[in-house]
Amino acid sequence: MNGIVFDIRRFSIHDGDGIRSSVYLKGCPLRCQWCQNPEGQDGRPTLWHFPSKCIECGDCVAACPRGALSSRDKAAAPKGPKPDAGGFIRIDRARCDECGACVEACPTASLGFVGRPMSVEEVLDEVLADAVFYDVSGGGLTLSGGDPVAQPDFSLALLRAAKAKGLTTAIESCLYLSTAKLLEFLPVTDLFLADLKAVDPVLHNKGTGFDNALILRNLWELADAGARMKVRLPLIPGHTATRENVEAVAAFVRSLRGDIELELLNFNPLARDKYRIAGLTYALDGVSTRFSEEEMRRFRSWAGLS
Amino acid sequence: MFETSSGGLLGLRTELDGIPMSGRIASLKAHTIVDERWLSLEQALIITESYKEADRLRPDEAKVLRRARALDASLRKIGIDIAQGELIVGNRTKGVRDGVVFPEAGNEWLFREIDSLATRPQDPFSVRPEDKTRFLEEVYPYWKGKTLEDYIQVNVGALNKEIGKVAKINQTDHAQGHIMPDVKSWLDKGPAGLRAAALARLEGEGDPTKRDFLVAVALSLEGASAFILRYAELAEAILGGEAAESGTPAPGGATGLERRRGELCEIARICRALAVRPPETFHEALQSAWFLFVILQMESNASSFSPGRMDQYLFPYFEADLAAKRLTLASALELLECLYLSFNKIVYMRNSEGAKYFAGFPIGFNVTIGGSDAAGRDMSNGLTYLFLKAQEHLLLPQPNLTARLHRASPEDFVDGCARVIGLGSGMPQVVNDESIVPALQRVGVSHEDASNYGLVGCVELSTQGNNLGWSDAAMFNLSKALELALNGGLCLLSGKKMGLDLGNLGTYASYEELHAAYRAEVRSFVDRMIEACDFVDRAHAVMLPSPFLSSVIRDCVGKGIDVTAGGAVYNLSGIQAIQVANIADSLAALKLLVYDTKRVPAARLLEALRTDWEGEEKLRQIFIHHAPKYGNDIAWVDAIGSAEASYFASLLEGRVNARGGPYHMGLYTVSAHVPMGKNVGAGPDGRKAGSPLADGGVSPMYGRDQKGPTAVLKSVSALDFSKASNGTLLNMKFVPSFFTVDEDRRKFNLLLRGFVRSGIHHAQFNVVNREDLLDAQEHPERHRNLTIRVAGYTAYFTELAADLQDEIIERTAHGLS
Ligand code: SF4
Ligand code: SF4
Repeated sequence: MNGIVFDIRRFSIHDGDGIRSSVYLKGCPLRCQWCQNPEGQDGRPTLWHFPSKCIECGDCVAACPRGALSSRDKAAAPKGPKPDAGGFIRIDRARCDECGACVEACPTASLGFVGRPMSVEEVLDEVLADAVFYDVSGGGLTLSGGDPVAQPDFSLALLRAAKAKGLTTAIESCLYLSTAKLLEFLPVTDLFLADLKAVDPVLHNKGTGFDNALILRNLWELADAGARMKVRLPLIPGHTATRENVEAVAAFVRSLRGDIELELLNFNPLARDKYRIAGLTYALDGVSTRFSEEEMRRFRSWAGLS
Repeated sequence: MFETSSGGLLGLRTELDGIPMSGRIASLKAHTIVDERWLSLEQALIITESYKEADRLRPDEAKVLRRARALDASLRKIGIDIAQGELIVGNRTKGVRDGVVFPEAGNEWLFREIDSLATRPQDPFSVRPEDKTRFLEEVYPYWKGKTLEDYIQVNVGALNKEIGKVAKINQTDHAQGHIMPDVKSWLDKGPAGLRAAALARLEGEGDPTKRDFLVAVALSLEGASAFILRYAELAEAILGGEAAESGTPAPGGATGLERRRGELCEIARICRALAVRPPETFHEALQSAWFLFVILQMESNASSFSPGRMDQYLFPYFEADLAAKRLTLASALELLECLYLSFNKIVYMRNSEGAKYFAGFPIGFNVTIGGSDAAGRDMSNGLTYLFLKAQEHLLLPQPNLTARLHRASPEDFVDGCARVIGLGSGMPQVVNDESIVPALQRVGVSHEDASNYGLVGCVELSTQGNNLGWSDAAMFNLSKALELALNGGLCLLSGKKMGLDLGNLGTYASYEELHAAYRAEVRSFVDRMIEACDFVDRAHAVMLPSPFLSSVIRDCVGKGIDVTAGGAVYNLSGIQAIQVANIADSLAALKLLVYDTKRVPAARLLEALRTDWEGEEKLRQIFIHHAPKYGNDIAWVDAIGSAEASYFASLLEGRVNARGGPYHMGLYTVSAHVPMGKNVGAGPDGRKAGSPLADGGVSPMYGRDQKGPTAVLKSVSALDFSKASNGTLLNMKFVPSFFTVDEDRRKFNLLLRGFVRSGIHHAQFNVVNREDLLDAQEHPERHRNLTIRVAGYTAYFTELAADLQDEIIERTAHGLS
């Protein structure tokens, strides 16, 4: 079975026990305005331009058989990184048929596909490269994305195969999928890292574009089934980072089961550049800083965390 | 008491956690780290005087005796000093961090460079006008034609020059050093006991060469006792008001003065005792060990007399004193920190080229802690943690602290190391018992001796007290050999003919043909390099026999043979192959882009290399980005690096050095990747002509490893470490959060466990962020205390030359997300 994978990151140390590898799967059922990995939302492989290494040679434009690439006017904009203007190269996605000619032509690897089809065996092969580190640390495989539930069958097959190799498994997910399907994950997942943005349905809908009834229900089901889980609340200025929301999420998590940990994730402003490069608008463009230690302490106290 | 019950060890760690750095140590630290260093001519004048006297009175006397007399004279005459607050005394010059002129080894470089010494970019020393005059008028003329350097220059100077861009022969103008003395027997017997043993051995010895040697050993040990006694006399003179201590007195008024008088009495008592008997207490043992290292420096003025496993041989004194309540943990720590400060009082003045290769004047007081015994049992003890604590307090370049890890290392020790690493001094560096012990056995070391290994200098592997490892015999530039193979034996930089002409990139029909030409080039240089190394080795035996050193290297006295002539139990010679990453990257790119996919015509690449990629930036980018690189866990690329390293090792196998021991391979450069890179033209790995090679030894090329630290470790572990028995060096860099956040540090500890399992000999970890370094370049005055791991040792960042600073800033930072 093939899935669409857009990154495999080794020595991933914040997503579960021990030393892990995180496999990033394309596609996500939600559309959070603050998404950290906008390149992962879309389920298909897509061409991306990474301007930091680009030497502005124009070879890619010449190589494209479909006229899908254009370059910024050099005369109008002097050379150098121009985060405001996006990258040197613009991609007309309506014309691009992902033939790869530009990727091959670009001398600096500044063009590449985000997402490539991979089989379970191929992914596992790469993940097992760090077997020795999993072995000494009790680590293993974490599925992330995008969201692994966007490719549920591939995710299940991957987790099953990893378990068969003796790895510990984890998934990082918003849990937006049918409860019946989610319960299939139980036997092959050692740890659920569940993202919960908001308890109030209106707030959730505003930030993510979707209702949270299914998510809350799935959290209940998982807790009831005795799954090992941790709930993570991303603190987004102007969205989730309010006293009411933090208190509500904390109360909800406490009501699930006594032993479920809640983690507050500080806002990460670095995603902004990705939006600009892609020519996408970013809802949080004006927000550039993380919360201070002091503010984080306050959030934690609202959440009843020490 | 502490090594047996884990409760005791836990108690010790908790108690240690609460001990702050004492005011004494803080003020001594300021006294030790002086900004200005001076050239010191004093010992050179004493030695010259001693030789002139020998010319008159004993013109036919053996060199070994001359050297012993010159040492003896130095020990009796050199100016000495005790600084306010010092508890461990002794230095080889009256000034702190002086650059000692050592005429027996070689003076040509100083003759050439004396005027630029104060202003050179790396490791400058100020010169007093009268010292310059006396050097030029008294020292230099007398020694002309009589030094080690002259002897080597006359005999193999031309050969060294001919092969120098590929094979750089070391130790041609200074003593060899790089040795770990038998500190335990020095502590057990003291100079008087060792002298008695040498004299007993002399009984009935008929061989006049051996007799001369043994007499010289005894003479040098007499000098040692006299030197130690002089410190007792100086302390007494200070007490009697006839002499004064240097430095500023500690505050405390009359009570402070009274306390200091008590300390001086103790110093006088200890030094009187150590002149005639072995040490009995922890304080005495530390003082005795320090005298040993000072005197070794005075005999040889060389880099790297390394103390080795101090937490092992000092433990009995520590344990007994604690049990008898003669010592508290705080007082033991303060004494140990005094020793740490002493290690920083001595620097080694190299010529300007040497200062580039070994920037920051590393003196190589390498202390090894932790590790297992021959049965695989963990040997860390309470004292081990004091060494970590002292490092945590002081964060100075010396000692070069090394932690031995193995499968059964206790978590406490691993975490203790990680916490100290996180403070950013690059220490302790970690080494791996699991791979090192078998590697040493492979070159003929017994299991028991191999299990007792320690590090010498930067990362060189050695057994303790019985081994002249000659670990820096030469550095072999594999990239230069490849360059010659690609260009018909002609240097890309100068156009000069240097190597064999076997064709060039344009004429080789296949990758195999090119590869064979490269290996032939390597082979032809190895043959000539060994010839040069053999001569240099013999030259040291002729010109710089070292009777005092021989007294603390096992079997020299027993055999009646000087350590330089093969008296030690083990007699190795280490050659460094440089640099795995560049060779793997270059050959992989050639194979893929020129031969397999034929994306780039050979002739076009050759032209680009000849012109340093002039007008071919796009092509250069293709060679960087469209060919996979070492350090990313890509099996076929790593296999190339591994095969070429092993091939080099195989060329050394079976060769016997001048002392009858084997040659073997090391994979480290210290900071030599910068000057060695200057010698190499543009490369198929996308390197520009003259830019640095990969750093460290087995590290990936900076910026080319993009898959994180586990992938780096995997790539590196593809090398056959059993063949790199002279030592290896892997640099990795992490941001501070890895160590300050408890959960992250636990992951780092797990990475260390993974490192042990991967069978890699060595790794060191820098913890720095870029802003710090850029600011330190801008405002060096604000960052005088910023120490950084260059490669195998730690130096003050602000003391490094600008290009080395730049390169450190560029290195990949792992753990940045
Ligand atoms: S992938 Fe093909 S079609 Fe798309 S931009 Fe590149 S060259 Fe053009
Ligand atoms: S993306 Fe690549 S090919 Fe296109 S202009 Fe930049 S460097 Fe040249």
